[in-house]
Amino acid sequence: MGRGASSNSIPEIENARFLFVIGSNTTEAHPVLALRIKKAVRNGATLVVADPRAIWLTKLAKRHLQLRPGTDVWLLNAMMHVILEEGLQDDEYIRANTVDFDAVREIVMRYTPEDAEKVTGVPAEAIRATAREYATERHAAIFYTLGITEHACGVDNIWSLSNLVLMTGHLGYESTGLNALRGQNNVQGLNDSGANPMYLPGYQAVDDPELRRKFSEAWGAEVPETPGYRLDQMMSGLHDGRVRALVLIGENPAQTEPNARHVEEGLGKLDFLLSQDIFLHDMTSKHAHVVLPASSFAEKDGTFTNTERRVSRVRRAAPLPGEAKTDLEIVLLLARALGTHWPEYPDAESVWNELADLAPAWYGLRYDRIEENGIQWPVPELGHPGTQFLHAPRPARPGGAKFYPVEYQRPIEEPDSEYPLVLSTGRTLYHYNSATMTMRESGITEKQEDPFFEISAEDASALGLAEGDWARLLSRRGALEARVHLSERVYPGLVWMALHFAEQKVNWLTHDVGDPLIGTPEFKISAVRVEPVA
Amino acid sequence: MVEFTLDGRTVTASDGELIVHAAARHGTFIPTLCHDDKLDPYGGCRMCVVDVEGAPRPMPACATRVAEGMAISTNGQITDYQRTLTEMLLSEHLNASPGGRPNELRDLATELGVDAPVILPDAKREEYDDRNQLMGYDPDACILCARCVRYTQEVMQCSALSLEGRGGHSRIVPTWGLSWLDTECELCGGCLSTCPTGAIYEKFEEGTERPESALEEVRTTCTYCGVGCQIDLKLDPGTKHIVKVTSKDEYLPNEGNLCVKGRFAFNFVHHPDRLTRPLVRGEDGELHPTTWEHALETAAAGLRKVIDEHGPQAVGFLSSARLTNEENYLIQKLARTGVGTNSVHSCEST
Repeated sequence: MGRGASSNSIPEIENARFLFVIGSNTTEAHPVLALRIKKAVRNGATLVVADPRAIWLTKLAKRHLQLRPGTDVWLLNAMMHVILEEGLQDDEYIRANTVDFDAVREIVMRYTPEDAEKVTGVPAEAIRATAREYATERHAAIFYTLGITEHACGVDNIWSLSNLVLMTGHLGYESTGLNALRGQNNVQGLNDSGANPMYLPGYQAVDDPELRRKFSEAWGAEVPETPGYRLDQMMSGLHDGRVRALVLIGENPAQTEPNARHVEEGLGKLDFLLSQDIFLHDMTSKHAHVVLPASSFAEKDGTFTNTERRVSRVRRAAPLPGEAKTDLEIVLLLARALGTHWPEYPDAESVWNELADLAPAWYGLRYDRIEENGIQWPVPELGHPGTQFLHAPRPARPGGAKFYPVEYQRPIEEPDSEYPLVLSTGRTLYHYNSATMTMRESGITEKQEDPFFEISAEDASALGLAEGDWARLLSRRGALEARVHLSERVYPGLVWMALHFAEQKVNWLTHDVGDPLIGTPEFKISAVRVEPVA
Repeated sequence: MVEFTLDGRTVTASDGELIVHAAARHGTFIPTLCHDDKLDPYGGCRMCVVDVEGAPRPMPACATRVAEGMAISTNGQITDYQRTLTEMLLSEHLNASPGGRPNELRDLATELGVDAPVILPDAKREEYDDRNQLMGYDPDACILCARCVRYTQEVMQCSALSLEGRGGHSRIVPTWGLSWLDTECELCGGCLSTCPTGAIYEKFEEGTERPESALEEVRTTCTYCGVGCQIDLKLDPGTKHIVKVTSKDEYLPNEGNLCVKGRFAFNFVHHPDRLTRPLVRGEDGELHPTTWEHALETAAAGLRKVIDEHGPQAVGFLSSARLTNEENYLIQKLARTGVGTNSVHSCEST
């Protein structure tokens, strides 16, 4: 469509009339946004949840499409099949605003709901009903998270969703659209700001010589032409010697990246590892050469950008502990130590102004405008009110939004006799990522502390496991021990575990073959075996 | 749009607007206790009653919608009702502020210039304890307006709290008399935020002498998840430590709602495990505290050596969603112009 962001806004959610939540455990990963979904349903909207697990939202849903992990393309192509078969597409929108529709039409015609049922496990009639409801409701909105993206076919999944949206013209007005719920507080902003190998700040492509020249001139230093490595390429570069030094800023890839044992081995091979963080963790204490004490969100000024593109102020409230410095200050000191000749940046605002001057969609967004509530980009000029929803009056991509025909790809690793269960991973309400922050809150660890995994009662009883027992999970990459949690959320054959537990990292088990285009790991599907702990 | 009379003035309201909202728009403040804009109209506490011409008895402004031609009076005998009601509530309201939270009943009493005429003999309610560390409840501060219960039912849509008992024995309990940790409660603290009298409060603030209004307040953006809730960090002016986190209804996008992490997981900021000095690995293979100067020299030398021997492409930067836009901007600028590589990414590239 031409934008790497959610199309619509959080306050609009409660006025949607049909909500399709796919691959998003919203009440746990985005609890406060989920309140709007709950409110929409209370206002009479229809909710359909597509998820391999019976997550909390299924309680409110009219229908739960409990698809097998990794079969999203089948489900979505079959929904489009129904829409086209019954003539529910928006021909006028397709004609006026999109390109390459015919390629998709041709492919989805082969994806019948009946065949989809065999692959996905979702009844054909449920697929038909959902397709009809979605296509015929004007205020129909789609929400997705990492259940869509964390697959080797993650890009295919997003394209499928995008095809579905474009086909029905559900874009460019209130309470509709395609909404990627960003997992972490400033994921949107870190990409907006150019911490990305493909893009300079404001999604300006590094491989465009004109844009490189613009930034080189502004910065008084040459922007390199050589393409940078993505995260997954850096991780593989640790092993083959392409990457010899790593600067880790608030990151612990030996917990959050797939095949984490292998990642840690790689980190051990580095000539130089610099970590800038608020806590020391097992990986940095073993492998870092220099550790710089940094700042938490409460100790610094700046901005975060949320999942609806809203840029909001972050303000310093508490003093830094000991000799710790803000990350901004540390980067400036490091830049000077490396011999750069940057201008003076007396405060965060001066940095922001440089970014806004260089990024057209942020140009009009200045601190004086976000003293109260934040503003949503694009804000192309001073005085521009910000943008509540994107792709209005037409899709942002020049020439029209593009349909991408997508064929189903099997997951990289499927269960077999040796590793008969599918392991999927995710987050819980009570913790956050590597949990260095939340595991230090006793009022919360009281609710959830020990590593646990969800397993169906059938699978557990076949293994002689009861609630609370310790069990071992093994994959081709590694093993860990966690407590059994008998759960009706998973079906026989599926187990699920969160990534929060530093002592028993679920990413010891996951594999590291990611999406071929963008490298996103397939956290959602690995083959494992469960054994009782003797 | 409808026309009505408010204390003798002819004014307008939108279709279906509650009297309390229409009056506020026209500058007339009607006190409420059981009302919260996040919740369905309830009309339980009667503090907001107004006279409506032709109605047999006073009507609750928080639960009555303006109709065409209505004649509403908010003064006269109504203020007597409010005084009497306030006195009645105060007479069974033994503990004004168990955790230092604001108390709208006390504020109202001050405004109306009333106090408890007597303390009712059965005012003392059964003590309440729970093993969770986050939310405390004092029945002696509770006016049973059920805002907390309704918040769990209407906003969270979970079964977490219930009204238990009758008359003077009534109190709020976690559903089925379980612990807050064992019901469907998700520990979001929404009950606490909506409580008008501070009967539900941050348990870790129990017995504090210091009212919430004495804390410093800094508005910022939550560090958990991509919703970007707007929060107020409340700091002890002496220690400069965050002692609680609150939010406000007018904040976007969360409208005052928070989750368990945003409201309660702030102690990591002041945790003794925080790194307070730069560390450099010594000849002995261990990390040792050192000066900033030495740490930065060592860092620059380590990076410079790799660049000299293997080229800038051998250096990678992994930045973080925990950092601000400004910090991320400078980090990519450092990678691109300080080191000379486009290899800057993060673990949150999706």
